[in-house]
Amino acid sequence: MKVKYLIEKIEGEAELEFDFKNGLVDNVIISFPFYRGIEEILKDRDAMDALVITPRVCGICNHAHLIASVRAIENGLNKAGININLTQKAISLREFTLSCEIVHSHFKWFYLVALPQLLNLDGIEKPDNYILKASWASTNIVKALAIFSGQWPHASYAVPGGVSCDPTYEDIIQAEALVDEVTRFVENELIGMSIDEYHKTKEISNIKGDMSTIFDMMSKKNIEEKGKSYDRFIVFGEHQIFQTGQYNKKYSNDISFAHIKEQIQHNSKAKSVTYKDMCYEVGPLARAIIAKNDFVLNLHNKYKDSTLIRVYARLDETLRLLMYMKSLLANLNVKELSCTLAKMPKAFEANGVGMVEAARGSLIHQSIIKDGKIQKYNIITPTQWNLSSGTQKEAGVAAQAMKGSISVEEATFVFRTFDVCSVCTTH
Amino acid sequence: MNDYSFTKKECDMGKDTMESVKKLFTTQSAKVDTNRGGEYYTDLYETCRKRLDELKALPVVNNKLDFQQTIMDEGLDRRDFLKWASATTAMLMLPASFTPLVAEAAQVMNRVPVIWIELSDCAGNSEALLRSDGPKIDKIVLDIISLEFHETLQAAAGHQAEKQLEEAIEHFKGKYLLFVEGAVPLGMDGQYGTIGAKAETFKDHLLRLASGAAAVIAVGSCATYGGIPAAAPNPTQSVGVMDVVSGKPIINIPACPANPANMVGVVLHYVLTGKIPELDSLLRPKFAFGYRIHDNCERRAHFDAGEYVEEWGDNGAKNNFCLYKMGCKGPMTFNNCSIVRYNEAVNWPIGVGRGCIGCSEPDFWDKYAYERPMANANIKAPTGGVEKTVDEFGLALLTAAGIGIGIHAVASAVAGKKNSEKDA
Repeated sequence: MKVKYLIEKIEGEAELEFDFKNGLVDNVIISFPFYRGIEEILKDRDAMDALVITPRVCGICNHAHLIASVRAIENGLNKAGININLTQKAISLREFTLSCEIVHSHFKWFYLVALPQLLNLDGIEKPDNYILKASWASTNIVKALAIFSGQWPHASYAVPGGVSCDPTYEDIIQAEALVDEVTRFVENELIGMSIDEYHKTKEISNIKGDMSTIFDMMSKKNIEEKGKSYDRFIVFGEHQIFQTGQYNKKYSNDISFAHIKEQIQHNSKAKSVTYKDMCYEVGPLARAIIAKNDFVLNLHNKYKDSTLIRVYARLDETLRLLMYMKSLLANLNVKELSCTLAKMPKAFEANGVGMVEAARGSLIHQSIIKDGKIQKYNIITPTQWNLSSGTQKEAGVAAQAMKGSISVEEATFVFRTFDVCSVCTTH
Repeated sequence: MNDYSFTKKECDMGKDTMESVKKLFTTQSAKVDTNRGGEYYTDLYETCRKRLDELKALPVVNNKLDFQQTIMDEGLDRRDFLKWASATTAMLMLPASFTPLVAEAAQVMNRVPVIWIELSDCAGNSEALLRSDGPKIDKIVLDIISLEFHETLQAAAGHQAEKQLEEAIEHFKGKYLLFVEGAVPLGMDGQYGTIGAKAETFKDHLLRLASGAAAVIAVGSCATYGGIPAAAPNPTQSVGVMDVVSGKPIINIPACPANPANMVGVVLHYVLTGKIPELDSLLRPKFAFGYRIHDNCERRAHFDAGEYVEEWGDNGAKNNFCLYKMGCKGPMTFNNCSIVRYNEAVNWPIGVGRGCIGCSEPDFWDKYAYERPMANANIKAPTGGVEKTVDEFGLALLTAAGIGIGIHAVASAVAGKKNSEKDA
């Protein structure tokens, strides 16, 4: 039996075509009926135009695109012999703003998508205050972002060599206050306990707040152990808080851009991505596994890469990032330079790669520049890793995870645990 | 020594037209009529009064969130609310006596059905509008406007959502405001973007929904002018809403993303008066797009003094000097960012030393893109005076201002050179 299902309520639209056998999902084809041609638009433009155009790929992870884009230029300049060494201040500010964006996206995913969809599965209509909670928390955290970046979405404050802003202590205090307020929201609403208590918790069942609602519902709907895929993870983005590497039965920190392959898929405007010809999962769960987060590793022993651990990893990351952001602000030395590349070369040649961890996983930009103009620009988004239909040899990560689901509704929840975004996937 | 060496011709041009530069920056840049006389406002007041009474008598379209309750939930008291109402009244260029009416209008906004669709977009305007931006009360007002259909916010999904949309357009035929986010791809018979189970093209979807709307509001630069998808070589042959829809009032709220304050302003204006606000020749509401960023920029004094940032991170940057030479497009960009700012007014691009990219102007991605200062940009002068408003001249003014400013920067560079010669 074949069933077509449309996924909306994401940035754009996706179409899932389920193939059922004996009442269980046997195969899923995922397609995205949407295309803008951003890479084609970037060709032949001034190298620096990428910094303004690529964020507009996505209204949710636009800041990650900006950072990937500036890193691609910096990486290319470095390889061309123009050394760029960012100050710790510039690094910290970029890390802070990027973390804000990841946290805000996790809030929206939890309150606007994951929790309502799961409640819906049980016939409960979404309580209205979820919209307000999502709105309140995400508004305040991107406000902290905008103090340094000027606006969100679509800021362009990162420039080769650093950042353009020169924050004062007053700006930092304002941002700290916002991070504290959002942390209080997390304690009161999301986990129902203090962060200290949370870190002492050894069991998911001890967690309270809205987070307990989602775990209770997952248990009630018997969905905790569904959604298992290949149990392969990869992290490319270099950050102070995340580690790069891959996991496929065993860990390896030795990963290379050269092993990444993009492939055109039939019936979809999104390309699939593989590493050494295999599908890998990216995102918060991958980051937690590669960073050897104790709690997540314990869960992993029991549940492997199931929906439960995928949901938990995203929420746990929200808390960790908030703590990290606080320490970044506390240690920021405003006396350092914001930007160290005083003179941007005009007609330069560069071939660089910029890798960043965005909310949904590793985001990669590659730019080949000649005479200061873009010859070729390639964007590989996190959702391409997770949501493609896969290769001839194996189904994509999310497609594999949906196999064995008992209904379309259950399968789409599994799909949602990857945090879907179609505008990034196709770009 | 900076990078911008000017040719002799450019310098001569600067000298020749200093008079016109002076004129450009001393005349009122946009002809927005903020005082239409007592009689006009008395009439308007009565019209609004009647309109609000009519709306109040109507049933609430969507009473999911009660306005008063929401205000209390957010910890805002009536004083904050009235403060917001008076600021919004001023933004809409109405006399202070309209403040109570604006406050009332905010409370009956859930009588006007709104349908929001996304076409070829990045959803950045939805993000800005619904969840992440806007002064606090604007945000609440937007939480409670009767969003009959918005795919991200509604409870329904998939086929159920499609059904909900069909019901809404039938039920509110001729009454709903249609907000459109995203460009309309026309290439490959519209196959670059389709929607729903029947794979309706974005163009057909838009035309069908527009035909039953009271007015169509294009939000963001993609819906307005085609935006980034329409950037050269425009792979999907994308265009804006006004290139496709005819026979309906269209309001453009450009910028990338559009400022939520301006979206609220348009809805409030419609609720209050039953009419769309006064528009310029590019169909932009004058209350928001009547002035240039440059006119109210916090760094304007440095422009006038000829103090510029010359490189990222230089002394000029540390002292918040003017970003014009770094490619700031504030002087050619009509928008109210310098007043309303972004993200609950916490900051804006010029505030972080990045400069304006002109994201609310047509073709900004091709014509204005990035940090090519206008003095070096290939922009032609219009025929006619440089102080024409956008209404009289459309795009021409933008280019005129560009030349004018190019001249100003050249002149300041020349002046600077003379000074240093004297010093030496």
